[in-house]
Amino acid sequence: MTNPIISVKHLKKDFEQNHVLKDINGDINAGQVICIIGPSGSGKSTLLRCINQLERPTSGVVDFNGVDLVQQTDQELAKLGEQIGVVFQNFNLFPNMSVLANLKLAPMRVKGLSDEEATKIAMKYLTSVGLADKAEAFPNSLSGGQKQRVAIARALAMQPKVLFFDEPTSALDPENVGEVLKVMQSLADGQMTMVVVTHEMNFAKKVADEIWFMADGVIQEKNTPAELFNNPQNPKTQDFISKVLVAD
Amino acid sequence: MGKMKMWLKQVLVTITVLVVAGFGMTQVAHADSLQKIKDKGVLTIATSPDYPPYEFQVNQNGSSKDVGMDIDIAKQIAKDLGVKLKIKNMDFSSLLVAVETGKVDMAIGGINPTDERRQSVDFSNVYYNGGQSFVINKADAAKYKKRSDLQGLKIGAQTGTLQYDLAQQKISGATVVGMDKTPNLIFALKTNKVAAVGMEKPVAEAYVKNDKDLKMIDSGYDLDINETGAAVAFAKGNPDLVAAVNKSITKIQKNGWIAGYIKNAGKHMSENTVDTSMLRYWHYFYNGFLNTTLIAIVSVAFGIILGIVLALMKMSKFKLLSWPAISYIEIVRGTPMMVQILLVYFGLGALINLPALTAGIIAVSLNSGAYVAEIIRGGITSLDKGQKEAAKSLGLSQKDAMRFVILPQAFKNIWPALGNEFISVIKESSIVSIIGVTDLVYELNIVRADTYRGIAPIVVVMVIYFLMTFILTRGLNYLEGKMNHD
Repeated sequence: MTNPIISVKHLKKDFEQNHVLKDINGDINAGQVICIIGPSGSGKSTLLRCINQLERPTSGVVDFNGVDLVQQTDQELAKLGEQIGVVFQNFNLFPNMSVLANLKLAPMRVKGLSDEEATKIAMKYLTSVGLADKAEAFPNSLSGGQKQRVAIARALAMQPKVLFFDEPTSALDPENVGEVLKVMQSLADGQMTMVVVTHEMNFAKKVADEIWFMADGVIQEKNTPAELFNNPQNPKTQDFISKVLVAD
Repeated sequence: MGKMKMWLKQVLVTITVLVVAGFGMTQVAHADSLQKIKDKGVLTIATSPDYPPYEFQVNQNGSSKDVGMDIDIAKQIAKDLGVKLKIKNMDFSSLLVAVETGKVDMAIGGINPTDERRQSVDFSNVYYNGGQSFVINKADAAKYKKRSDLQGLKIGAQTGTLQYDLAQQKISGATVVGMDKTPNLIFALKTNKVAAVGMEKPVAEAYVKNDKDLKMIDSGYDLDINETGAAVAFAKGNPDLVAAVNKSITKIQKNGWIAGYIKNAGKHMSENTVDTSMLRYWHYFYNGFLNTTLIAIVSVAFGIILGIVLALMKMSKFKLLSWPAISYIEIVRGTPMMVQILLVYFGLGALINLPALTAGIIAVSLNSGAYVAEIIRGGITSLDKGQKEAAKSLGLSQKDAMRFVILPQAFKNIWPALGNEFISVIKESSIVSIIGVTDLVYELNIVRADTYRGIAPIVVVMVIYFLMTFILTRGLNYLEGKMNHD
């Protein structure tokens, strides 16, 4: 196996007396798709946010290509941050600008691309998520599924090394979930490195290279989908798997 | 007369003290100010031209001019000194502060040299003593013939004036009703809210002459001329200047010129009242409208810039930035705009020579900035946290996130609140009239004083204010509609 892009060591996060993350360790390798699953409140989203520093961890190391993100100032992070794309549950598109402007803003302001270059890149990724015809539309005129596809394209337009998904389909109407998962699937097929916090067990089973099962602020079990779903070792994993599989 | 309101004086004194302490500089008047006036070739005086026949404005060929007995006296003084006369108009209550802070060389405006005032300024000899009278409705002429007939009744007088004190002390059982401006008192008289209005004789004469329904009766007060006459006010410590002015006053009195001045004033007053239609005074209202608009637009523009800076400072995690912004906003919101305007005009004005209009605009901008800051901060904090996170995750700097993502959205959200602030600035800025900025309210008082019409000018100004705010509201709504992408 290659050197990990991101290596998490002894990561802890307390919200006052509440220990949300307790000693998290894990590696994210290039081209790998990791799905983080677990019951609500287990700390999945907090882990994701602590890795990309949207939330500052209480202690621990997040090694990103040899740099410890935890030790970086906000300004230094802004530079590194562009290499880690994030797709949020609530899309967080900028409603004051068109879809195209949403995609162009960061390439132009952060990477200093010309309008022409940024437009070219933006249109390339809009096309890849099937929304080239919505370039001039404003976000609030789109459906939830379309918004999330734009959000993915916006993250991709920065050409990040890793893409984080924080429950990307949880805020969607059921009929919109499929189109977003399809886009994510094709990204995975294209060797994009992805970390996905999700409740979509079928997606995790099918697409993930590795699944991290979290409960009570701890990664209880790490394994391939086949092993984790068919042969869970940890009692908490067994309990969770039995419940979600029954629900399916 | 003695229009100075006591509480206002206290405020002014407090501010003067604050300014003196704050800037560590005492505006000590210099003994050589007479020489300075001669060197400059200009004598600058302050007056409040809403008090015919002492000083008022005439409407000549579409432009207004200060005239009246006091103005003629000032002209003679300037002539005797061999210099030009420059007149600064302001509210009566600002005259003495203008003298104390060196904004002007002297103030003339029918000012009574009371003991109280002598503590803060010096006075010339008394140049005129008009005596005290009452104005009553002609219909009551048979009932009220002398002061004793007014016992136990309601008497009107300007708040905090000599007339107010006299009515209280010398008419047994009378209830004294205090009001701000003479036209308001006359209106109270005509609507029988008061039985009589105490005022100085020349002023009373002017009213009676211009209104057939009014009548004047003598007050019969026995008074000390040095307390009740009119004198010129100077900053303390200018014996040369006071002496020079006294010399002119003696000359004027010896030659009996005052009678001529009063006659002259009467001629101008009848000029004004030949035609008191509001149309004839349109340029007063127009000028007031222009200045009010100018103040509002410039103040809102600067207010928004200042508001953004203050809002960002207040939200900063660095105490060095947030603290000054917090205290600034608290102080501005916690003190009346009037006080702030006086502080800027007389306080800042003691350091650099600020025209009243500039001082007014600065004060209103500084005031508006604090309110806009809170509106903007509210707009920013009400935005979804996800917007900031999305900007951050894309690698946008904090500055770019603010500029392209946060502020445009915040502005859209706060647009109605900003519009309210704009409208409130249009209305509240009328307080700048106190330092003589010729805004709508200032012009309103001039027109009321000139025409002896109590209500019509108010209606005109109300309509103008309403049209301004109404058109603005429509415009803002239109722009808001254009901003809507939802």
